[in-house]
Parts: sequence; structure tokens; C-alpha cells
Amino acid sequence: MVEFRNVSMSYDKGHEVLNDISFKLEPGSMHFLTGPSGAGKTSLLKLMYLAQRPSRGEIMMFGRDVAKAMRDDLPKLRRRIGVVFQDFRLLDHMTAVDNVALPLRIAGGSGAQINEHVEELLRWVGLEDKMLSLPSTLSGGEKQRVAIARAVIRRPDILLADEPTGNVDPEMAERLMYLFVELNKLGTTIVIATHDNALVKKVGAPRLHLVGGRLLHIEGSKKDISDFNAGKGLDQ
Amino acid sequence: MSRSFNFLPTVKSGEATKLLPWVMAIMVYLSALAATGSLLLHSGFDNWASSLQGRITVQITGEDKDLITAESLEIQKALRQTPGIEEVRILSDQELKTLLEPWLGSGNITDDLPVPVMIDVQTSEEAYVNLDALESKLKQISNNVYLDDHAKWLRHFYNLAYTVEYTALSILVMILLASVGIVIFGTKSSMSEHKNIIAIMHLMGAHDQMIAKAYQKRFMYYGLKGGLIGLLFSFITVYGLLNLVQDLSGGLVETPTLPYLKMSVLLLFPLLFALLTMFTARVTVMRELGRMV
Repeated sequence: MVEFRNVSMSYDKGHEVLNDISFKLEPGSMHFLTGPSGAGKTSLLKLMYLAQRPSRGEIMMFGRDVAKAMRDDLPKLRRRIGVVFQDFRLLDHMTAVDNVALPLRIAGGSGAQINEHVEELLRWVGLEDKMLSLPSTLSGGEKQRVAIARAVIRRPDILLADEPTGNVDPEMAERLMYLFVELNKLGTTIVIATHDNALVKKVGAPRLHLVGGRLLHIEGSKKDISDFNAGKGLDQ
Repeated sequence: MSRSFNFLPTVKSGEATKLLPWVMAIMVYLSALAATGSLLLHSGFDNWASSLQGRITVQITGEDKDLITAESLEIQKALRQTPGIEEVRILSDQELKTLLEPWLGSGNITDDLPVPVMIDVQTSEEAYVNLDALESKLKQISNNVYLDDHAKWLRHFYNLAYTVEYTALSILVMILLASVGIVIFGTKSSMSEHKNIIAIMHLMGAHDQMIAKAYQKRFMYYGLKGGLIGLLFSFITVYGLLNLVQDLSGGLVETPTLPYLKMSVLLLFPLLFALLTMFTARVTVMRELGRMV
């Protein structure tokens, strides 16, 4: 599904923020991306959601080297990737429904079909009573759930989350993590960048650990995720 | 692939683009005035010039009124016998007074003023009259006869007319270029205002054309709205100015009349500016987005 081969990256031809990264993620897997601040977690995610191009190496996604994809081909590839940002990046002038519907509208979906899907998804993330609310009236946890709903509305092949629990309280962080695990069970490949070691341990998914732009090791197993699901329930 | 939907927020009062329709209104106003001025002068020049073409003015000067009157009758006879001349008419004293009044004032032209005798000659359109030969022939009757076919004056007149028209055209081009510059600035300002929205749209897989369409629609509306307002005010101004000119006209110059048919092209100005703003906004957005990954 995702394979990095000796990938390096720098901004504006400056020093390399990622150096010789190689790893492979299987379809349907779930990984945490950990490491101290400035280790290159966000840069690695940017390469994966095609917001940046590497300075060296190959990035194999969807059976092709996306690092060398033509610019006109990128929108189609981006539609297969869902992204959740730490700062939510919701469009402030749009309601929760319209924010979640955005990827469908971009893809040219029809009105009735969009409404049906969006309302169903907002109910799934527990926001059925906030559908017509503007982001400014939502709490941090609610905003993040809208952002997650927006990221998964088109059933992406890969879901990338950059510090998704960074702006919410521990209880909400656990609830959000449960949503990611549920999505993973539905077959979505998930990568979550986080500082929250406690949560990583609790979920127990494999870990890509970055230090100083280098990938140090991959650890953990998928078995632990099942334990997380079994032990902790989301209050639904 | 690039179905359009409006993802842009409504323009806030502090945004620079809020002023764009008014700037466009001023641009269309100035363009319409420049074009109207050019059309009006063109029409006026044509009228004035055509009234002089094919005409010769013969002037007999002298202090002895009886003598120049007798000479003028002989000259009139000679002119009528000249091939290519259709009409010969000696201007009456009253006509001469009317011509001189704007310069000397009413009632200031006394009988002892040495006013020359003027003969208005109309030549046939097909015929060529050799002015030098005709003057030599008339000099045999009076040494104080002068012929003027207005060619020198018309040459200067046409030079002035062309200069004024080209100046008006240059002003129009400059206004269009300035408008393009303003729209580029406005589009970049708007994109900067919405950079987070554009980034999100981009990451979700929006094509450049989809983003550009939202901007070009918005800017086309600005151009059309500004264009209609500007055109309306330009018509009001032209109407007011023409009324003032009409009040001033007292025989010095003929009041120019509006060439309504040609002026109907001004109705296209709002559309032209709407298309100009739309196209400029599209090109600007596409160029800016092209710099993104």
C-alpha cells in the first residue's frame, strides 16, 4: 500500500528534514508515527498526503511512484487519502455538514447522495445534534470529530492524522482513538503522528519512530490493537 | 472533473476586494467618457470638414467699397465661366456681419469698416480646379484677390483630429491595462486572504480549474456590477456636459451631436470589463496555484 524507498526531503533546498527513510506499510495496517518535536513527523505525513515532494527516493502508493507523478494527476491521488490535522483546518464559514461534505462536492457528488452520507457519518461520530453548527461554536473534541468525518467521508484508502489528540482532553483523545481503530477494522490503512506515548501504549499499534529526520525502528504488533478494542469501549 | 461550487466565504467588510466593483465602476466611467469624447469629436470633425471640402473662398480686399464691389461682380462672372465650378455666390453685407460678430461684437461693425468682399465658390466633386491658374486669371481683374481652398487649414484640422482620437484610444488602452493590474492585485489579495481554504481544497483533491472557477465567477460579478454603475454615471455626465455645450454655443462652433448608433457600442463596456476581470482572475489564480505542489 505504502512504501518509502530511501526517501529524503528538504524545504526550499535547505538541510534535509528527512534522511534516507525506508519502510513499507501493508494494506489495512495501523501505525503510530512517534518521535520528539522536530523529528520530521509532519514532514513525513506531508509526503504521504502529497503536499510535498521528496528531494530523493521513491514513494510507492496506489501501485505507482507518486513522487514522480505529474502535477495534474495529484488531485485524483489525493482523493484516495484522508487527512486529519491537529488544528482541524475546518472551513469556518461552513457548517459541520458542509465541512464534511466538502470532499464529496470536490469529487462532483450529487446533493441528495451527499446529504445522506454526511448525516449518517456525523451520527456515527456522535454529532447528530451539531450538524448545522459553525466550527466556531464547537468544542475542540467536536471539531476534531468533524475533521475525522471529513477525512473519511469518501472511504479513503489511507487515513493520515497529525497529532489528532493534541488539542483535546485525555478522555476525548481515547474516544477519538477508538474511532480510528474502528475505521482501521473497516480496512482503512491508518498512520497517526502523536506525542502521546501513553495512548500509543494503550492502543498498541506498531510504531514508526523518527529521530532527527531518521527512522530509527518499527515496533509493536497488530494483536495489541484488538486488545485495545476489547478492553476499552467508547460510550455510545 | 472541475465542477464548480462556491466554497469561498462572503466578502468581509475589511477585505480589499470589497472595493473592487467601485474601482471597476471608475475605470468603466473613465473608459466610457474617453470613448464618448473620441466618438463625439470624430463626428464633429467629419461634419466640419465635409462642410469645407469642395469649397473655395475668394476674397477681394480694398478700401474703396465701390471698386471692390464692381471687381467682385466681374470675378463672379469669370468664375461662373470656369469649368468645374458649380455655384458662385457673393456673401451679403449681413452675412459678413454675422461672421464677424463673434469676434468684434454685436453693433461694432460700422459701414466705414474696410470689410472685404467674400465669394463662396462650390466646385463639382468630380472636377479638379487648378487653384494657381484660377488665381492668375482672377488677378487680371483685381490685384487684391485672394483664393483659399482651406487645404492648409484642413490639413492642420485633420492632424488635430487624429491626435485627439489617438490620445483617446491611448487613454482607453491605459485604463484597460490599469484595470488588469488592479484585478491581478485584487485576486492575489483575495487568494492570500483565503490561503487556508485553498490549501484544504487542494489537499482534498480539488483541481486548479475548480478553484479558479470560484474566483473567476466572483470577479466577473465585480466587473459586471462595476461596469453597469460606471456606464450609468458616464451617461449622466455626457448628458449634462452636452446640455452645457448647447447653452454655450452661439455660432462660434456647431454643437456636436451624439452619434447614437456608434455610441451603442458603449453598452458592451460592462460586459467587456466583466470578461476582462474574469479572464484576468482566472489566469492569476491558475498561475498562483501552479506554484503549489
